[in-house]
Amino acid sequence: MNNEIIEKIKKDLHDNILEESRSHNEIYFTVKKGSIVKLCDHIYYHLDLPLVSIFATDERKIDGSFKIHYVFSMDRNDAFIILRIKVDSKESSYPSITPKIASANWYEREMQDMFGLVPLGHPDPRRLMNFEDWPEEIHPLRKDFDIKTKPPRVKGEYIYRHVDGEGVYEIPVGPVHAGVIEPGHFRFSVAGEPIINLEIRHFYTHKGVEKLFENISIDKAVFLAERVSGDNSVAHVVAFCQAMEKIALINVPLRAIYIRTILLELERIYNHLADIAGIATDVAFAFGAAHANKLKEEVLQLNEQITGSRMLRGMNAIGGVRRDIGDKKNMILQKLSNIQRDFRKLMEHLTSTPSLMDRIENTGRIYNDIAKGLHVVGPVGRASGLDRDTRRDHPYAAYKELNFKVPIQKAGDVLSRTIVRADEICESVALIEQALWALPEGEIRVHLDRIPDGQALGYTEAPRGETIYWIRTIGNRIERCKVRDPSFCNWLAIEYAVLDNIVPDFPIINKSLSLSYSGNDM
Amino acid sequence: MLEIIKKTLRTGCQTIKYPQVPDIAPEGFRGKPEFAAEKCTYCGNCIKVCPPGVIWLCEQKGEKRLSLSCCGCIFCGRCEEVCTAGAIKLTLEYELCAKKKEDLLSSIRSKS
Repeated sequence: MNNEIIEKIKKDLHDNILEESRSHNEIYFTVKKGSIVKLCDHIYYHLDLPLVSIFATDERKIDGSFKIHYVFSMDRNDAFIILRIKVDSKESSYPSITPKIASANWYEREMQDMFGLVPLGHPDPRRLMNFEDWPEEIHPLRKDFDIKTKPPRVKGEYIYRHVDGEGVYEIPVGPVHAGVIEPGHFRFSVAGEPIINLEIRHFYTHKGVEKLFENISIDKAVFLAERVSGDNSVAHVVAFCQAMEKIALINVPLRAIYIRTILLELERIYNHLADIAGIATDVAFAFGAAHANKLKEEVLQLNEQITGSRMLRGMNAIGGVRRDIGDKKNMILQKLSNIQRDFRKLMEHLTSTPSLMDRIENTGRIYNDIAKGLHVVGPVGRASGLDRDTRRDHPYAAYKELNFKVPIQKAGDVLSRTIVRADEICESVALIEQALWALPEGEIRVHLDRIPDGQALGYTEAPRGETIYWIRTIGNRIERCKVRDPSFCNWLAIEYAVLDNIVPDFPIINKSLSLSYSGNDM
Repeated sequence: MLEIIKKTLRTGCQTIKYPQVPDIAPEGFRGKPEFAAEKCTYCGNCIKVCPPGVIWLCEQKGEKRLSLSCCGCIFCGRCEEVCTAGAIKLTLEYELCAKKKEDLLSSIRSKS
């Protein structure tokens, strides 16, 4: 870690720092509550560090206060700066940073619902996760809320944004959809066919995952992390395990690290293939969809042969992996090479089909400034020119030892996102090949009985983008586990991506963003 | 267009004749967990580690009954991992449809 930069930041924050602590690549600064807007503004704009997560902890039992953590990522130095403020439980309010930093929007509303901490000056202080029939003053992530509580239903109303004007119509879609997908409400305001406003509303199936983490033993929590977001299983469980391994200060055996890398990349390949298939489906290009889906199925069957699970589940554990896959090396190499050959041909077909290209070029543009402002992550961000990839910026697993490129596109339309995904599939195949050739001999797991007290960040680049876990353990159980799924950042981008597009293009735009309902609504 | 027709003809039929021809899961598949009654010591390790809690033990009239419900099982294989007697194993069985929840239950008994 570059100490000069840290010293410079300390100089910039000077007398606002009350306390400083470091662990691994995380630097925690406890700062004065009143100065948080100024400090975040300075770090975000002046030092140009992206805000990757905000979360609260209930520490009323220790010092009668809540703490709010603002996590900034130092991409160029592989470190995280975490500003922490103390919010007195009697006041329960703090200054909102959303007017300055747009990407803080949902985090602050989430904390308002889950902890009852009010962001003063928030431009949109409506409820986010607690619906209108949820009683006020009941905040599920507070420590005094018992997990078995069934609060009574109350009357309430949710007010949507409203667009008025001659010839402006509203089209409400959902929360129940025609396809077998999860629930979400989309409210379009249209003048003719072009969309002039979209408001999304989610969180219909809130599962209370973060509360559940606090109420189960750590060995069982591994399997919960694996199921937070169905098709990003490996990315979630690896992020969880890495945070735990950081807390426990254990070195995961090299062989396990390489196996994890292979699993993470297999997950990326099948997700990206599914997205490309989905885009072909949504423009009614059945040939492309059939072939992309066939390739995806081949990867799923390969997954099953390697791990016994099509979704690569049950492989990861704290301290390593549970099964060795080294004996299947030749089979994996053979199959992947066939899949890659077929995929390259398929992409040639897709990009030379005018009926497809016409629909996806210039459709659903997310401009670079919007993407940056909303902190759009993953392939969607990279298609809008944001050159960020956790695998390269905060190397984990075996990524430091392997060579790969991070594909970037600038146009930010559906085509760019498709190209980024296609390029990433080829990079992933190359990564798996490298990892298999370099697979070191040795153990695949270290066993540990107890996780010591501590706190740490775990992070991975899921197929959808940066996934971040922050875990605090006390007495061999989880005191707080904050999960930041990439979709939590990317969902708001859809409100911008559809503007000036026609309603029939909405499904393609939605698919090209590849948003998760389940990962978003934990 | 010509390319598409060529590719379609070359790809041919990809569907398999399941269920007329059985499709056997590969070695190492995480399928229905099954007990081996003669090996089980009723130690309860599998009950402790089961993440969804679908394994349980009843003691009644001098008889121990260990039950497992596939309804809720996540096929993680933790039970298999901790069983020192090798009395529970994940099998290749994946056809687990049932009309009643009770049909997804498997139990073994022993006189205590």
